[in-house]
Amino acid sequence: MPTAPFLAVYRFSVKLVRRSKRTKVFVAVAALPVVLALILQINRLASPGLNLDGLAVFSNVVMGFSLQFLVLLLSLFYGTSVTADEVDNRTLTYPATRPVPKNAFIIGKYAASVSFLLILLLVSTILAFLILMVDRLSYGTAWAFLGRSLAALSLGTICYTALFTLAGTFLRKSILFGLFFCFGWENVVQYFPGTTQKFTIMHWLKSLLPGIEAGMGPSNDGTGLLKFLLFRHEPSPVWAAILTIFVITAIFLGLACYIFSRKEYLFDE
Amino acid sequence: MNGNGLTIRAEKLGKWYGNVLGLSDISIEIGPGITGLLGPNGAGKSTFMKLITGQLRPSIGTVTIGGRPVWNNPEIFRRVGFCPEQDAFYDDMTGREFLAGLLGLYGYGPSEVKERADRALDFVELTEAADRMIRGYSRGMRQRLKISQSLAHEPEILILDEPLNGLDPLSKRKVIRLIKEYRTEGRTVLVSSHVLPEIEALTQSIVLVHQGKILAEGDIHHIRGLIDTHPHIVEVRTEDARKLAVRFAGEADVLSVKFDEAEGTVLFETRNRDRFFERLTRTAAGEDLDIEEITSPDDNLQSVFDYLVGK
Amino acid sequence: MAIAERGYTHWQGTLGTGRKPWRVIAGQSIRLAWKRKYFKLAFFGALFPALFFAGGIYVSERISDFKEMMRGAEKFLQINPAYFQAYFGSSFLLFMMMVIMVGAGAGLISDDLRHNALPLYFSRPLRKRDYIGGKFASLAFFLLLLTLAPGLIFIVLKLIFAGSFKLLADYPWLPFSFIGWSIFLSSFLSLYTLLLSSLGRNRRFTSILILAVYFLSTAFFGIFFGIFHEPAFCLISIEMNLRQLSAALMGAKPLFNVPWIYSLLVLSAIMGASILVLRKKIRGTEVIR
Repeated sequence: MPTAPFLAVYRFSVKLVRRSKRTKVFVAVAALPVVLALILQINRLASPGLNLDGLAVFSNVVMGFSLQFLVLLLSLFYGTSVTADEVDNRTLTYPATRPVPKNAFIIGKYAASVSFLLILLLVSTILAFLILMVDRLSYGTAWAFLGRSLAALSLGTICYTALFTLAGTFLRKSILFGLFFCFGWENVVQYFPGTTQKFTIMHWLKSLLPGIEAGMGPSNDGTGLLKFLLFRHEPSPVWAAILTIFVITAIFLGLACYIFSRKEYLFDE
Repeated sequence: MNGNGLTIRAEKLGKWYGNVLGLSDISIEIGPGITGLLGPNGAGKSTFMKLITGQLRPSIGTVTIGGRPVWNNPEIFRRVGFCPEQDAFYDDMTGREFLAGLLGLYGYGPSEVKERADRALDFVELTEAADRMIRGYSRGMRQRLKISQSLAHEPEILILDEPLNGLDPLSKRKVIRLIKEYRTEGRTVLVSSHVLPEIEALTQSIVLVHQGKILAEGDIHHIRGLIDTHPHIVEVRTEDARKLAVRFAGEADVLSVKFDEAEGTVLFETRNRDRFFERLTRTAAGEDLDIEEITSPDDNLQSVFDYLVGK
Repeated sequence: MAIAERGYTHWQGTLGTGRKPWRVIAGQSIRLAWKRKYFKLAFFGALFPALFFAGGIYVSERISDFKEMMRGAEKFLQINPAYFQAYFGSSFLLFMMMVIMVGAGAGLISDDLRHNALPLYFSRPLRKRDYIGGKFASLAFFLLLLTLAPGLIFIVLKLIFAGSFKLLADYPWLPFSFIGWSIFLSSFLSLYTLLLSSLGRNRRFTSILILAVYFLSTAFFGIFFGIFHEPAFCLISIEMNLRQLSAALMGAKPLFNVPWIYSLLVLSAIMGASILVLRKKIRGTEVIR
């Protein structure tokens, strides 16, 4: 039985991602939280007087680094690569002249990028968690904490990659747009008070993090595990956050498919 | 030209890039056999290739393959193969991986992918180098790899955009042979080039494109014959050059005669090629003049092209 | 009558002396960068702090006129080394310079590697140092426009608005600090950018590398400093090292109690590594393994 086009594109793209030399660089980048966790844990063991709570370090430091930096950076590169790589390398002609619908091409490549990123980020986060919590693994709440953190990272990867896939389909300078979006818009507007912060994806992702259900009070009162990460965050309900993330991801992907199927790509000759 | 194979049909096809005209009012039907698409750089050949392979959308008019529109119709590519002009490949792959990866996009299972890949690599004589990295390939090998990806699924229509670009003479001969081998019963092969002798080596059936328009299409000789305004040149090699020159100088349709006794050649310019050849043949059959060779130096593509673009 | 050969003929003249191929490369790279719309936007955006600080120099001499508006700003508007350090060491300016490095520099070498242009360069009478020097000069040009030019203009404006040479009398080393810091900063950022541009053939990848390494180093500093409260961790961060060094050169109070010489060593090591890598990467023939 012939393979579905989306699946065929997915398999082909996974092969390309695995083969790429740049993958090694990004694997090293994604391993930084693990390195960080190792350094901190070794320090904690070497200096018993050092008051370092593993869960606090994981929640503020590892999650802060992963969610506010790593997810953005990796999604930016792999999201824009969905189409931009093919156009820059002038290889778009090959998949474009196969019996593969354009939607299937976008979705297949997007899925391959997201799969790869999820593996990288989740493995790295879990390893960092295990290292930092090695002496508190029986602490049940910590695992729930980890679960919600992994959910935030996963949904962040899915959503940001979709956004940058869209950017890559119609912007020539998608990287620049992405950099201004990540280090400008997301990193600044998320700290604005009131409804304004809801115009960032980061707001909805942070609303998924543990202990911040609506009605439990603001996160900037100096208490709680996530006081650094959730500084000035005015959380939305978890169900609203999940729904919003899925809806905007679907919108981004839908627009990307629509634009890709109608746009003509001319290579620089 | 129509056989049992698929037909590429363009009707009043036009393409603009902003204010720049790429193609204008192209109406053509390309059926089974090898057809050469000919024209200088910037004539519109690649634009036409991209339109018939669905990479560009027509600004005006239609382009169909087998009666079905090409733009946003990926299913058509089960029966169409395309070899692009650009020398571009995916990084860090061997030839076999590249070919197998693209074959996978047709939905073939692993064993069928392997079989087709092996067959295609064998056809383009790349079996030995198949497991080497593409970046280590020579230009000729890369070109043959591109051709292999275009025919690995055995399409009925094969479209090749400048397949002989940048190749050395030996590689060119190889590729020309491959293209001729591929053209079996009912298959359509469309080859574009700006180098006229290359097309002449492949086919007599041509489409001439210049400044976005079709100048002529059909058999080279037939096109040449249609050019009434320009006299035909015939070169005859004989020991009795002067005698032959005198024999024909008085004929009404012979416009000029130049002879070189030392070289033993006579160059005739005639308005009526058929009548001239008829008389020449009778003369050659006679016993008083020994004719060694008859050639038509302008009965070739370069001359046809030059006449049509008014050089 | 001899018929002139209309084909290619060799030029019989002599090559000019004093040729500087690096200037040709630099000029071309500058023109290419300047052609891009977004680059112009980013560059003029990066000039905002200079305009702001220049305005501050003017206002500092007219405090009484702006007293109502400037309540509380008097301390900031004391034109001394700390004022200039606030400009030269500002995070925003450094961020904008990084954006300009991405726009003008990410593809400088990576595009040449991708299009296999190095053999084309080196088939001319061009040395490696001309090639690297030309690329370096194109980046340094933009960076000096954001550092040296505003710095010297600040001094001139202060002298004009104050109507005296008091600034130079109080801080005679200031112009030399501006020159020294501008040259060092431009050299560092240019070499840093060229190093990362030479590491890939994909401009998008090198764009991300340029910003990622910069921000990562600062993120790691923030994490370790937040946990261990040890100022020596500032040596991990490119941004903090630059701010430490600029404070030292301006004679202002540094952010951290760490000798500035360490920051200089760290930054110099990066520059040294950059030169070594560039000399290895830039060659006329491609070796395929």
